Amino acid sequence: MGNLTDKYCVVGVGETPHMRPSNRTTLSMACEAVKKAMANAGLEPRDIDGMTSYQAGDSTTSNHVATSLGIRLNYSLDIFGGGSSTEALIAHAVGLLEGGYCKTIVIFRSMNGRSGRRMGGQAPSGPVPPTQAAGDQQFYMHWGWTTPAQWFGMSAMRYLRDTGATTKTFAEVAVAHRYHASLNPKAIMRAPITIEDHQRSRWVSKPLRLLDCCLETDVSAALIITSRERAFDLKQPPVFIMGGTARTMAPSPSWNYSRPEIHYVAGNYGRNRLFGMAGISQKDVDIISCYDAFTFTTTIQLEAYGFCGKGEAKDFVKGGRLQIDHELPSNLSGGHLSEGYTHGISMVIENVRQLRHRADDACPRWAEGIHTYDRKAGCRQVKKARIAACLGWGTEATSSSAILRGIIG
Amino acid sequence: MPGAIDYSRITIVPDFDTAEWWMGTKQHKYLVRQCKSCGHKWFPPFPACSKCTSMDLTWFETAGKGVIHSYVVVTQPILSAFIETVPYVVALIELDDCHEADGALVRVAGVLLDDEEAVAMGLPVEVVFEETKEPNIVIPRWKICGTAENTWKFTE
Repeated sequence: MGNLTDKYCVVGVGETPHMRPSNRTTLSMACEAVKKAMANAGLEPRDIDGMTSYQAGDSTTSNHVATSLGIRLNYSLDIFGGGSSTEALIAHAVGLLEGGYCKTIVIFRSMNGRSGRRMGGQAPSGPVPPTQAAGDQQFYMHWGWTTPAQWFGMSAMRYLRDTGATTKTFAEVAVAHRYHASLNPKAIMRAPITIEDHQRSRWVSKPLRLLDCCLETDVSAALIITSRERAFDLKQPPVFIMGGTARTMAPSPSWNYSRPEIHYVAGNYGRNRLFGMAGISQKDVDIISCYDAFTFTTTIQLEAYGFCGKGEAKDFVKGGRLQIDHELPSNLSGGHLSEGYTHGISMVIENVRQLRHRADDACPRWAEGIHTYDRKAGCRQVKKARIAACLGWGTEATSSSAILRGIIG
Repeated sequence: MPGAIDYSRITIVPDFDTAEWWMGTKQHKYLVRQCKSCGHKWFPPFPACSKCTSMDLTWFETAGKGVIHSYVVVTQPILSAFIETVPYVVALIELDDCHEADGALVRVAGVLLDDEEAVAMGLPVEVVFEETKEPNIVIPRWKICGTAENTWKFTE
Protein backbone atom coordinates (compact mmCIF):
# COMPACT_ATOMS: atom_id res chain seq x y z
CA MET A 1 0.00 0.00 0.00
CA GLY A 2 3.05 2.21 0.41
CA ASN A 3 1.95 5.82 0.86
CA LEU A 4 -1.60 4.77 1.77
CA THR A 5 -0.39 3.00 4.89
CA ASP A 6 -2.11 4.38 7.99
CA LYS A 7 -4.12 6.87 5.92
CA TYR A 8 -7.45 5.10 6.52
CA CYS A 9 -8.96 3.58 9.64
CA VAL A 10 -11.59 1.22 10.92
CA VAL A 11 -13.75 3.41 13.14
CA GLY A 12 -16.88 1.42 13.93
CA VAL A 13 -17.84 -2.21 14.45
CA GLY A 14 -21.08 -3.95 15.33
CA GLU A 15 -22.92 -7.22 15.06
CA THR A 16 -26.11 -9.00 15.97
CA PRO A 17 -25.95 -11.84 18.47
CA HIS A 18 -24.76 -15.11 16.99
CA MET A 19 -27.97 -17.09 16.66
CA ARG A 20 -29.22 -20.50 15.60
CA PRO A 21 -31.85 -19.88 14.38
CA SER A 22 -32.40 -16.15 14.09
CA ASN A 23 -36.05 -16.25 12.97
CA ARG A 24 -35.18 -12.99 11.20
CA THR A 25 -34.42 -11.78 7.70
CA THR A 26 -30.88 -11.04 6.59
CA LEU A 27 -32.11 -7.47 5.97
CA SER A 28 -33.31 -7.05 9.53
CA MET A 29 -30.05 -8.41 10.93
CA ALA A 30 -27.93 -6.26 8.60
CA CYS A 31 -29.80 -3.11 9.67
CA GLU A 32 -29.11 -3.94 13.31
CA ALA A 33 -25.41 -4.61 12.68
CA VAL A 34 -24.95 -1.39 10.67
CA LYS A 35 -26.82 0.66 13.29
CA LYS A 36 -24.58 -0.77 16.01
CA ALA A 37 -21.45 -0.04 13.99
CA MET A 38 -22.60 3.55 13.42
CA ALA A 39 -23.37 3.97 17.13
CA ASN A 40 -20.00 2.46 17.99
CA ALA A 41 -18.24 5.02 15.82
CA GLY A 42 -20.50 7.93 16.77
CA LEU A 43 -21.77 8.34 13.23
CA GLU A 44 -25.24 9.15 11.89
CA PRO A 45 -26.85 7.78 8.70
CA ARG A 46 -26.04 11.08 6.97
CA ASP A 47 -22.33 10.47 7.56
CA ILE A 48 -22.30 7.23 5.55
CA ASP A 49 -22.00 7.48 1.77
CA GLY A 50 -20.54 4.13 0.77
CA MET A 51 -21.66 0.58 1.47
CA THR A 52 -20.35 -2.79 0.31
CA SER A 53 -21.23 -6.33 1.23
CA TYR A 54 -20.50 -9.87 0.21
CA GLN A 55 -22.66 -12.93 0.00
CA ALA A 56 -23.16 -16.31 -1.60
CA GLY A 57 -26.65 -15.83 -2.93
CA ASP A 58 -27.89 -15.90 0.63
CA SER A 59 -28.26 -12.32 1.75
CA THR A 60 -29.65 -8.85 1.30
CA THR A 61 -28.03 -5.95 -0.57
CA SER A 62 -26.36 -2.69 0.36
CA ASN A 63 -29.15 -0.72 -1.24
CA HIS A 64 -31.82 -2.49 0.79
CA VAL A 65 -29.94 -1.84 4.01
CA ALA A 66 -29.13 1.78 3.17
CA THR A 67 -32.71 2.50 2.11
CA SER A 68 -34.08 0.93 5.26
CA LEU A 69 -31.84 3.07 7.46
CA GLY A 70 -32.25 6.30 5.48
CA ILE A 71 -28.66 6.30 4.26
CA ARG A 72 -28.02 7.98 0.92
CA LEU A 73 -25.14 6.27 -0.87
CA ASN A 74 -22.77 7.63 -3.46
CA TYR A 75 -21.30 4.19 -4.01
CA SER A 76 -22.49 0.68 -3.29
CA LEU A 77 -21.36 -2.75 -4.36
CA ASP A 78 -22.40 -6.25 -3.40
CA ILE A 79 -19.89 -8.91 -4.35
CA PHE A 80 -20.11 -12.66 -4.51
CA GLY A 81 -17.76 -14.32 -2.12
CA GLY A 82 -16.91 -16.04 1.09
CA GLY A 83 -13.95 -16.01 3.40
CA SER A 84 -11.58 -13.92 1.33
CA SER A 85 -14.03 -11.02 1.15
CA THR A 86 -13.74 -8.94 4.32
CA GLU A 87 -10.08 -8.06 3.80
CA ALA A 88 -10.69 -7.63 0.06
CA LEU A 89 -13.43 -5.11 0.77
CA ILE A 90 -11.19 -3.30 3.27
CA ALA A 91 -8.57 -2.86 0.54
CA HIS A 92 -11.32 -1.87 -1.86
CA ALA A 93 -12.61 0.73 0.61
CA VAL A 94 -9.13 2.26 0.88
CA GLY A 95 -9.11 2.65 -2.90
CA LEU A 96 -12.57 4.20 -2.96
CA LEU A 97 -11.73 6.66 -0.20
CA GLU A 98 -8.43 7.59 -1.79
CA GLY A 99 -10.17 8.09 -5.14
CA GLY A 100 -12.76 10.37 -3.59
CA TYR A 101 -15.71 8.15 -4.47
CA CYS A 102 -17.00 8.41 -0.95
CA LYS A 103 -15.99 9.54 2.54
CA THR A 104 -17.17 6.84 4.91
CA ILE A 105 -17.85 3.22 3.97
CA VAL A 106 -19.76 0.45 5.68
CA ILE A 107 -18.81 -3.18 4.97
CA PHE A 108 -21.28 -5.83 6.12
CA ARG A 109 -22.06 -9.53 5.90
CA SER A 110 -25.48 -10.89 6.81
CA MET A 111 -26.41 -14.55 6.65
CA ASN A 112 -28.79 -17.13 8.01
CA GLY A 113 -26.04 -19.70 7.75
CA ARG A 114 -27.87 -22.17 9.95
CA SER A 115 -31.58 -21.64 9.37
CA GLY A 116 -31.34 -20.43 5.78
CA ARG A 117 -29.01 -21.58 3.09
CA ARG A 118 -26.32 -23.81 4.56
CA MET A 119 -22.82 -24.11 3.16
CA GLY A 120 -22.64 -26.99 0.74
CA GLY A 121 -26.40 -27.29 0.65
CA GLN A 122 -28.45 -26.30 -2.33
CA ALA A 123 -31.55 -25.12 -0.58
CA PRO A 124 -32.77 -23.82 2.76
CA SER A 125 -32.95 -26.36 5.56
CA GLY A 126 -35.70 -28.92 5.32
CA PRO A 127 -36.55 -31.59 2.75
CA VAL A 128 -33.97 -31.45 0.00
CA PRO A 129 -35.29 -31.43 -3.57
CA PRO A 130 -33.37 -33.18 -6.39
CA THR A 131 -30.12 -31.31 -6.63
CA GLN A 132 -29.11 -29.38 -9.72
CA ALA A 133 -25.44 -29.93 -10.47
CA ALA A 134 -24.58 -27.02 -12.75
CA GLY A 135 -21.39 -25.11 -13.52
CA ASP A 136 -18.39 -26.23 -11.48
CA GLN A 137 -20.62 -28.48 -9.41
CA GLN A 138 -20.95 -30.91 -12.29
CA PHE A 139 -17.50 -32.04 -11.23
CA TYR A 140 -18.03 -32.24 -7.49
CA MET A 141 -21.59 -33.10 -6.78
CA HIS A 142 -22.07 -36.44 -8.43
CA TRP A 143 -18.99 -37.58 -6.49
CA GLY A 144 -20.63 -36.67 -3.23
CA TRP A 145 -17.88 -34.12 -2.75
CA THR A 146 -19.97 -31.08 -2.06
CA THR A 147 -19.21 -29.45 1.25
CA PRO A 148 -16.22 -27.52 2.51
CA ALA A 149 -15.52 -30.25 5.09
CA GLN A 150 -15.26 -32.76 2.26
CA TRP A 151 -13.05 -30.50 0.11
CA PHE A 152 -10.72 -29.43 2.88
CA GLY A 153 -10.59 -32.96 4.21
CA MET A 154 -8.88 -33.93 0.96
CA SER A 155 -6.14 -31.34 1.46
CA ALA A 156 -5.90 -32.07 5.16
CA MET A 157 -5.34 -35.76 4.48
CA ARG A 158 -2.46 -35.10 2.10
CA TYR A 159 -1.07 -32.53 4.52
CA LEU A 160 -0.90 -35.15 7.27
CA ARG A 161 1.05 -37.45 4.99
CA ASP A 162 3.43 -34.80 3.69
CA THR A 163 4.25 -33.06 6.98
CA GLY A 164 3.97 -35.75 9.61
CA ALA A 165 1.40 -33.67 11.48
CA THR A 166 -1.37 -35.59 13.22
CA THR A 167 -4.94 -34.72 14.06
CA LYS A 168 -3.58 -33.61 17.45
CA THR A 169 -2.08 -30.69 15.56
CA PHE A 170 -5.61 -29.74 14.53
CA ALA A 171 -6.76 -30.31 18.11
CA GLU A 172 -4.37 -27.63 19.39
CA VAL A 173 -6.14 -25.06 17.22
CA ALA A 174 -9.59 -26.16 18.38
CA VAL A 175 -8.53 -26.01 22.04
CA ALA A 176 -6.95 -22.54 21.71
CA HIS A 177 -9.88 -20.98 19.92
CA ARG A 178 -12.38 -22.55 22.30
CA TYR A 179 -10.40 -21.23 25.25
CA HIS A 180 -10.77 -17.73 23.82
CA ALA A 181 -14.49 -18.32 23.30
CA SER A 182 -14.77 -19.23 26.98
CA LEU A 183 -13.75 -15.61 27.66
CA ASN A 184 -16.26 -14.22 25.14
CA PRO A 185 -19.85 -13.82 26.32
CA LYS A 186 -20.98 -13.51 22.67
CA ALA A 187 -19.65 -16.92 21.61
CA ILE A 188 -22.02 -19.78 20.85
CA MET A 189 -19.74 -22.53 22.18
CA ARG A 190 -18.06 -21.50 25.44
CA ALA A 191 -17.29 -24.70 27.34
CA PRO A 192 -13.52 -25.23 27.25
CA ILE A 193 -12.34 -28.40 25.53
CA THR A 194 -9.23 -30.56 25.77
CA ILE A 195 -7.15 -32.35 23.18
CA GLU A 196 -8.89 -35.55 24.32
CA ASP A 197 -12.34 -34.01 23.76
CA HIS A 198 -11.28 -33.20 20.24
CA GLN A 199 -9.94 -36.69 19.66
CA ARG A 200 -13.18 -38.22 20.90
CA SER A 201 -15.51 -36.10 18.76
CA ARG A 202 -17.22 -37.83 15.85
CA TRP A 203 -15.99 -37.82 12.28
CA VAL A 204 -17.56 -35.48 9.78
CA SER A 205 -15.24 -36.06 6.88
CA LYS A 206 -12.17 -38.01 7.83
CA PRO A 207 -9.58 -36.69 8.77
CA LEU A 208 -11.82 -33.87 10.07
CA ARG A 209 -13.88 -34.33 13.22
CA LEU A 210 -16.84 -32.37 14.52
CA LEU A 211 -14.51 -30.20 16.64
CA ASP A 212 -12.46 -29.38 13.54
CA CYS A 213 -15.47 -27.68 11.94
CA CYS A 214 -16.89 -24.18 12.33
CA LEU A 215 -20.39 -23.48 13.59
CA GLU A 216 -23.22 -22.78 11.22
CA THR A 217 -24.58 -19.46 12.41
CA ASP A 218 -27.26 -16.87 11.76
CA VAL A 219 -25.62 -13.47 12.18
CA SER A 220 -24.84 -10.10 10.68
CA ALA A 221 -21.74 -8.00 11.29
CA ALA A 222 -20.52 -4.65 10.01
CA LEU A 223 -17.49 -2.40 10.12
CA ILE A 224 -16.94 1.20 9.06
CA ILE A 225 -13.90 2.74 7.39
CA THR A 226 -12.97 6.40 6.94
CA SER A 227 -9.95 8.68 6.74
CA ARG A 228 -7.58 9.22 9.65
CA GLU A 229 -8.59 12.88 9.84
CA ARG A 230 -12.23 11.97 10.42
CA ALA A 231 -11.28 9.02 12.59
CA PHE A 232 -9.71 11.20 15.26
CA ASP A 233 -13.02 13.08 15.65
CA LEU A 234 -14.99 9.91 16.39
CA LYS A 235 -15.77 7.95 19.52
CA GLN A 236 -13.20 5.16 19.40
CA PRO A 237 -9.42 5.05 19.23
CA PRO A 238 -8.65 4.71 15.49
CA VAL A 239 -7.38 1.44 14.08
CA PHE A 240 -5.15 2.07 11.08
CA ILE A 241 -5.07 -0.02 7.93
CA MET A 242 -1.39 -0.70 7.25
CA GLY A 243 -1.74 -2.88 4.18
CA GLY A 244 -3.90 -5.41 2.48
CA THR A 245 -4.23 -7.88 -0.34
CA ALA A 246 -7.41 -8.76 -2.15
CA ARG A 247 -8.13 -12.11 -3.72
CA THR A 248 -4.59 -13.11 -4.47
CA MET A 249 -4.51 -16.36 -6.39
CA ALA A 250 -2.65 -19.54 -5.66
CA PRO A 251 0.68 -19.77 -7.49
CA SER A 252 -0.61 -22.37 -9.92
CA PRO A 253 -3.80 -21.20 -11.59
CA SER A 254 -5.06 -24.68 -12.28
CA TRP A 255 -7.86 -26.53 -10.52
CA ASN A 256 -7.48 -26.29 -6.76
CA TYR A 257 -6.54 -29.91 -6.60
CA SER A 258 -4.01 -30.01 -9.42
CA ARG A 259 -1.39 -27.87 -7.76
CA PRO A 260 1.87 -29.63 -6.92
CA GLU A 261 0.98 -29.53 -3.23
CA ILE A 262 -2.70 -29.20 -2.58
CA HIS A 263 -2.05 -27.64 0.81
CA TYR A 264 0.13 -24.91 -0.70
CA VAL A 265 -2.37 -22.06 -0.76
CA ALA A 266 -2.82 -18.50 -1.99
CA GLY A 267 -1.43 -16.96 1.19
CA ASN A 268 1.98 -18.22 0.13
CA TYR A 269 1.72 -15.83 -2.76
CA GLY A 270 0.11 -12.89 -0.96
CA ARG A 271 2.31 -12.75 2.10
CA ASN A 272 5.28 -10.82 0.75
CA ARG A 273 2.97 -8.26 -0.74
CA LEU A 274 1.07 -7.95 2.52
CA PHE A 275 4.04 -7.52 4.80
CA GLY A 276 5.86 -5.41 2.23
CA MET A 277 3.00 -2.93 2.06
CA ALA A 278 2.72 -2.72 5.81
CA GLY A 279 6.48 -2.39 6.17
CA ILE A 280 6.68 -4.94 8.96
CA SER A 281 7.60 -8.58 9.39
CA GLN A 282 5.78 -11.49 10.96
CA LYS A 283 7.75 -10.92 14.17
CA ASP A 284 6.05 -7.54 14.64
CA VAL A 285 2.58 -9.07 14.74
CA ASP A 286 1.00 -9.30 18.19
CA ILE A 287 -2.26 -11.06 17.39
CA ILE A 288 -3.76 -12.76 14.37
CA SER A 289 -7.12 -13.73 13.02
CA CYS A 290 -6.85 -16.87 11.02
CA TYR A 291 -9.71 -18.06 8.87
CA ASP A 292 -10.79 -21.09 10.87
CA ALA A 293 -13.55 -22.58 8.82
CA PHE A 294 -11.67 -25.68 9.96
CA THR A 295 -8.81 -26.17 12.37
CA PHE A 296 -6.79 -27.28 9.37
CA THR A 297 -7.23 -23.97 7.55
CA THR A 298 -5.61 -22.15 10.45
CA THR A 299 -2.73 -24.60 10.44
CA ILE A 300 -1.86 -24.06 6.80
CA GLN A 301 -2.36 -20.29 6.99
CA LEU A 302 0.27 -20.06 9.71
CA GLU A 303 2.63 -21.68 7.23
CA ALA A 304 1.41 -19.79 4.18
CA TYR A 305 1.83 -16.39 5.79
CA GLY A 306 5.25 -17.24 7.11
CA PHE A 307 4.59 -17.43 10.84
CA CYS A 308 6.33 -20.77 10.63
CA GLY A 309 7.92 -22.77 7.86
CA LYS A 310 6.13 -25.19 5.56
CA GLY A 311 5.22 -28.28 7.51
CA GLU A 312 6.23 -26.71 10.82
CA ALA A 313 2.79 -25.87 12.18
CA LYS A 314 2.74 -29.18 14.04
CA ASP A 315 5.44 -27.83 16.36
CA PHE A 316 4.39 -24.20 16.15
CA VAL A 317 0.91 -24.77 17.61
CA LYS A 318 2.01 -27.18 20.35
CA GLY A 319 1.50 -26.37 23.98
CA GLY A 320 -1.05 -23.62 23.49
CA ARG A 321 1.13 -21.15 21.60
CA LEU A 322 -1.95 -19.80 19.80
CA GLN A 323 -3.56 -18.97 23.14
CA ILE A 324 -3.81 -15.61 24.81
CA ASP A 325 -0.68 -14.73 26.85
CA HIS A 326 1.41 -16.99 24.58
CA GLU A 327 3.42 -16.32 21.40
CA LEU A 328 0.76 -15.65 18.80
CA PRO A 329 -2.81 -15.37 20.13
CA SER A 330 -5.17 -16.41 17.34
CA ASN A 331 -8.87 -15.69 16.97
CA LEU A 332 -9.41 -14.11 20.36
CA SER A 333 -13.20 -14.15 20.03
CA GLY A 334 -13.16 -17.91 19.54
CA GLY A 335 -13.30 -17.60 15.78
CA HIS A 336 -15.53 -19.51 13.48
CA LEU A 337 -14.89 -22.70 15.39
CA SER A 338 -16.42 -21.40 18.60
CA GLU A 339 -17.84 -17.87 18.43
CA GLY A 340 -19.84 -18.35 15.23
CA TYR A 341 -19.35 -18.49 11.49
CA THR A 342 -19.57 -15.13 9.73
CA HIS A 343 -17.46 -15.70 6.63
CA GLY A 344 -14.51 -13.89 8.15
CA ILE A 345 -15.80 -10.51 9.25
CA SER A 346 -16.19 -11.20 12.97
CA MET A 347 -12.50 -12.06 13.38
CA VAL A 348 -11.55 -8.72 11.90
CA ILE A 349 -13.99 -7.02 14.26
CA GLU A 350 -12.40 -8.80 17.21
CA ASN A 351 -8.97 -7.60 16.11
CA VAL A 352 -10.28 -4.04 15.93
CA ARG A 353 -11.61 -4.31 19.48
CA GLN A 354 -8.34 -5.81 20.71
CA LEU A 355 -6.33 -3.00 19.07
CA ARG A 356 -8.57 -0.41 20.69
CA HIS A 357 -8.03 -2.24 23.97
CA ARG A 358 -11.77 -2.48 24.23
CA ALA A 359 -12.41 -6.19 23.92
CA ASP A 360 -15.97 -6.51 25.21
CA ASP A 361 -15.13 -9.33 27.55
CA ALA A 362 -16.57 -10.80 30.70
CA CYS A 363 -13.95 -9.15 32.86
CA PRO A 364 -15.57 -8.12 36.16
CA ARG A 365 -14.32 -4.55 35.91
CA TRP A 366 -15.09 -4.07 32.23
CA ALA A 367 -18.25 -2.11 33.11
CA GLU A 368 -15.82 0.54 34.37
CA GLY A 369 -13.71 0.18 31.23
CA ILE A 370 -10.90 -1.54 33.10
CA HIS A 371 -9.15 -4.73 31.99
CA THR A 372 -7.76 -6.89 34.76
CA TYR A 373 -5.96 -9.26 32.32
CA ASP A 374 -7.13 -11.95 34.70
CA ARG A 375 -8.16 -14.81 32.43
CA LYS A 376 -9.78 -16.78 35.23
CA ALA A 377 -12.04 -13.81 35.84
CA GLY A 378 -12.99 -13.64 32.16
CA CYS A 379 -10.77 -10.90 30.72
CA ARG A 380 -9.75 -11.59 27.12
CA GLN A 381 -7.98 -8.33 26.29
CA VAL A 382 -4.43 -8.96 25.11
CA LYS A 383 -2.09 -6.79 27.15
CA LYS A 384 0.15 -5.52 24.37
CA ALA A 385 -1.92 -5.73 21.23
CA ARG A 386 -0.65 -3.19 18.77
CA ILE A 387 -0.48 -4.97 15.41
CA ALA A 388 -2.95 -7.54 14.09
CA ALA A 389 -2.71 -9.65 10.96
CA CYS A 390 -6.10 -10.61 9.50
CA LEU A 391 -5.70 -13.68 7.33
CA GLY A 392 -8.80 -14.34 5.28
CA TRP A 393 -9.46 -16.79 2.53
CA GLY A 394 -12.18 -18.29 0.45
CA THR A 395 -10.93 -21.38 -1.21
CA GLU A 396 -7.47 -22.84 -1.31
CA ALA A 397 -6.91 -20.85 -4.49
CA THR A 398 -7.81 -17.38 -3.17
CA SER A 399 -6.75 -15.35 -0.20
CA SER A 400 -7.15 -11.83 1.12
CA SER A 401 -5.40 -10.30 4.08
CA ALA A 402 -4.94 -7.07 5.98
CA ILE A 403 -2.69 -5.70 8.68
CA LEU A 404 -4.20 -3.36 11.24
CA ARG A 405 -2.46 -1.18 13.83
CA GLY A 406 -3.79 0.36 16.99
CA ILE A 407 -2.43 3.38 18.83
CA ILE A 408 -2.64 2.00 22.35
CA GLY A 409 -0.36 -0.57 23.96
CA MET B 1 -18.55 -51.67 -0.62
CA PRO B 2 -20.26 -48.32 -0.12
CA GLY B 3 -24.02 -48.18 -0.59
CA ALA B 4 -25.69 -47.07 -3.78
CA ILE B 5 -25.74 -43.48 -4.92
CA ASP B 6 -29.26 -42.36 -5.79
CA TYR B 7 -28.54 -40.53 -9.01
CA SER B 8 -32.23 -39.70 -9.41
CA ARG B 9 -31.59 -37.12 -6.66
CA ILE B 10 -28.95 -35.26 -8.68
CA THR B 11 -29.74 -33.57 -11.96
CA ILE B 12 -26.60 -32.94 -13.98
CA VAL B 13 -26.88 -29.81 -16.11
CA PRO B 14 -24.33 -30.00 -18.96
CA ASP B 15 -23.42 -26.70 -20.55
CA PHE B 16 -21.39 -25.22 -23.40
CA ASP B 17 -18.09 -26.11 -21.71
CA THR B 18 -19.04 -29.58 -20.49
CA ALA B 19 -21.60 -31.17 -22.82
CA GLU B 20 -18.96 -33.04 -24.80
CA TRP B 21 -17.38 -34.35 -21.61
CA TRP B 22 -20.70 -35.93 -20.62
CA MET B 23 -21.05 -37.30 -24.16
CA GLY B 24 -17.66 -38.89 -23.54
CA THR B 25 -18.73 -40.73 -20.39
CA LYS B 26 -21.68 -42.21 -22.28
CA GLN B 27 -19.12 -43.73 -24.65
CA HIS B 28 -17.04 -44.83 -21.62
CA LYS B 29 -14.33 -42.31 -22.38
CA TYR B 30 -12.64 -40.25 -19.66
CA LEU B 31 -11.76 -36.94 -21.32
CA VAL B 32 -9.64 -34.03 -20.20
CA ARG B 33 -9.30 -30.68 -21.91
CA GLN B 34 -6.28 -30.13 -24.15
CA CYS B 35 -5.00 -26.94 -25.77
CA LYS B 36 -4.43 -27.20 -29.52
CA SER B 37 -1.83 -24.43 -29.38
CA CYS B 38 0.52 -25.53 -26.59
CA GLY B 39 -0.61 -29.03 -25.66
CA HIS B 40 -1.46 -28.16 -22.04
CA LYS B 41 -4.05 -30.47 -20.47
CA TRP B 42 -6.37 -29.80 -17.58
CA PHE B 43 -9.47 -30.80 -15.69
CA PRO B 44 -12.30 -29.83 -15.11
CA PRO B 45 -12.89 -28.57 -18.64
CA PHE B 46 -12.60 -24.82 -18.11
CA PRO B 47 -12.88 -22.99 -21.44
CA ALA B 48 -9.42 -21.44 -21.82
CA CYS B 49 -5.83 -22.62 -21.57
CA SER B 50 -4.25 -21.25 -18.40
CA LYS B 51 -0.77 -21.48 -19.94
CA CYS B 52 -1.31 -19.63 -23.25
CA THR B 53 -4.93 -18.29 -23.06
CA SER B 54 -5.89 -20.13 -26.25
CA MET B 55 -9.54 -21.03 -26.55
CA ASP B 56 -8.88 -23.31 -29.47
CA LEU B 57 -9.25 -26.58 -27.61
CA THR B 58 -9.63 -30.28 -28.11
CA TRP B 59 -10.11 -33.32 -25.85
CA PHE B 60 -7.57 -35.89 -24.73
CA GLU B 61 -8.90 -39.36 -24.01
CA THR B 62 -7.11 -40.79 -21.00
CA ALA B 63 -6.71 -44.47 -20.35
CA GLY B 64 -8.61 -43.89 -17.10
CA LYS B 65 -5.83 -45.15 -14.88
CA GLY B 66 -4.04 -43.36 -12.11
CA VAL B 67 -2.76 -43.30 -8.55
CA ILE B 68 -4.54 -42.13 -5.40
CA HIS B 69 -2.95 -38.80 -4.44
CA SER B 70 -5.25 -38.09 -1.51
CA TYR B 71 -8.67 -39.06 -0.23
CA VAL B 72 -11.38 -38.14 2.21
CA VAL B 73 -13.80 -40.46 3.97
CA VAL B 74 -17.29 -39.02 4.01
CA THR B 75 -19.20 -40.22 7.04
CA GLN B 76 -21.99 -37.70 7.02
CA PRO B 77 -24.16 -37.40 3.88
CA ILE B 78 -25.17 -33.87 2.97
CA LEU B 79 -27.03 -34.46 -0.26
CA SER B 80 -29.96 -36.84 -0.19
CA ALA B 81 -28.45 -38.86 -3.05
CA PHE B 82 -25.71 -40.09 -0.70
CA ILE B 83 -27.77 -41.13 2.32
CA GLU B 84 -27.37 -44.83 1.50
CA THR B 85 -23.76 -44.42 0.35
CA VAL B 86 -21.99 -43.48 3.60
CA PRO B 87 -19.32 -44.14 4.57
CA TYR B 88 -17.64 -43.66 1.23
CA VAL B 89 -14.25 -42.56 -0.04
CA VAL B 90 -13.74 -39.69 -2.47
CA ALA B 91 -10.30 -40.08 -3.99
CA LEU B 92 -8.12 -37.51 -5.70
CA ILE B 93 -6.46 -39.35 -8.55
CA GLU B 94 -3.33 -38.45 -10.44
CA LEU B 95 -3.76 -39.73 -14.00
CA ASP B 96 -0.89 -41.83 -15.37
CA ASP B 97 -0.99 -40.60 -18.95
CA CYS B 98 -1.94 -37.02 -18.68
CA HIS B 99 0.20 -34.11 -17.58
CA GLU B 100 -0.04 -30.33 -17.65
CA ALA B 101 2.32 -28.18 -19.71
CA ASP B 102 4.80 -27.89 -16.81
CA GLY B 103 4.86 -31.63 -16.21
CA ALA B 104 2.47 -31.84 -13.25
CA LEU B 105 0.12 -34.76 -13.55
CA VAL B 106 -3.52 -33.88 -14.12
CA ARG B 107 -5.77 -34.84 -11.22
CA VAL B 108 -9.38 -35.86 -11.18
CA ALA B 109 -11.63 -36.96 -8.32
CA GLY B 110 -14.34 -39.52 -7.87
CA VAL B 111 -16.10 -41.92 -5.55
CA LEU B 112 -14.28 -45.19 -5.01
CA LEU B 113 -16.13 -48.47 -5.32
CA ASP B 114 -13.86 -49.71 -2.52
CA ASP B 115 -14.27 -49.30 1.21
CA GLU B 116 -12.20 -47.11 3.48
CA GLU B 117 -10.29 -50.16 4.74
CA ALA B 118 -8.85 -50.77 1.28
CA VAL B 119 -7.81 -47.21 0.44
CA ALA B 120 -4.30 -45.76 0.72
CA MET B 121 -2.39 -43.01 -1.02
CA GLY B 122 -0.19 -44.44 -3.75
CA LEU B 123 -2.51 -47.28 -4.77
CA PRO B 124 -3.37 -47.65 -8.47
CA VAL B 125 -6.97 -47.18 -9.54
CA GLU B 126 -8.95 -47.42 -12.75
CA VAL B 127 -12.16 -45.85 -13.92
CA VAL B 128 -15.46 -47.72 -13.99
CA PHE B 129 -18.38 -46.20 -15.84
CA GLU B 130 -21.62 -46.48 -13.93
CA GLU B 131 -24.85 -46.44 -15.88
CA THR B 132 -27.65 -44.59 -14.14
CA LYS B 133 -31.40 -44.79 -14.60
CA GLU B 134 -31.11 -41.34 -16.12
CA PRO B 135 -30.57 -42.32 -19.78
CA ASN B 136 -28.41 -39.36 -20.68
CA ILE B 137 -25.88 -39.61 -17.88
CA VAL B 138 -23.07 -42.06 -17.18
CA ILE B 139 -21.02 -41.42 -14.06
CA PRO B 140 -17.35 -42.35 -13.75
CA ARG B 141 -16.31 -44.05 -10.51
CA TRP B 142 -13.00 -45.61 -9.58
CA LYS B 143 -11.75 -48.87 -8.14
CA ILE B 144 -8.44 -50.03 -6.75
CA CYS B 145 -6.74 -52.22 -9.36
CA GLY B 146 -3.44 -53.31 -7.84
CA THR B 147 -0.90 -52.92 -5.07
CA ALA B 148 2.02 -50.58 -4.55
CA GLU B 149 4.99 -49.97 -2.30
CA ASN B 150 5.28 -46.88 -0.12
CA THR B 151 1.59 -46.36 0.35
CA TRP B 152 0.25 -44.13 3.09
CA LYS B 153 -2.91 -44.73 5.03
CA PHE B 154 -4.66 -42.59 7.61
CA THR B 155 -4.72 -44.30 10.98
CA GLU B 156 -6.17 -43.04 14.19
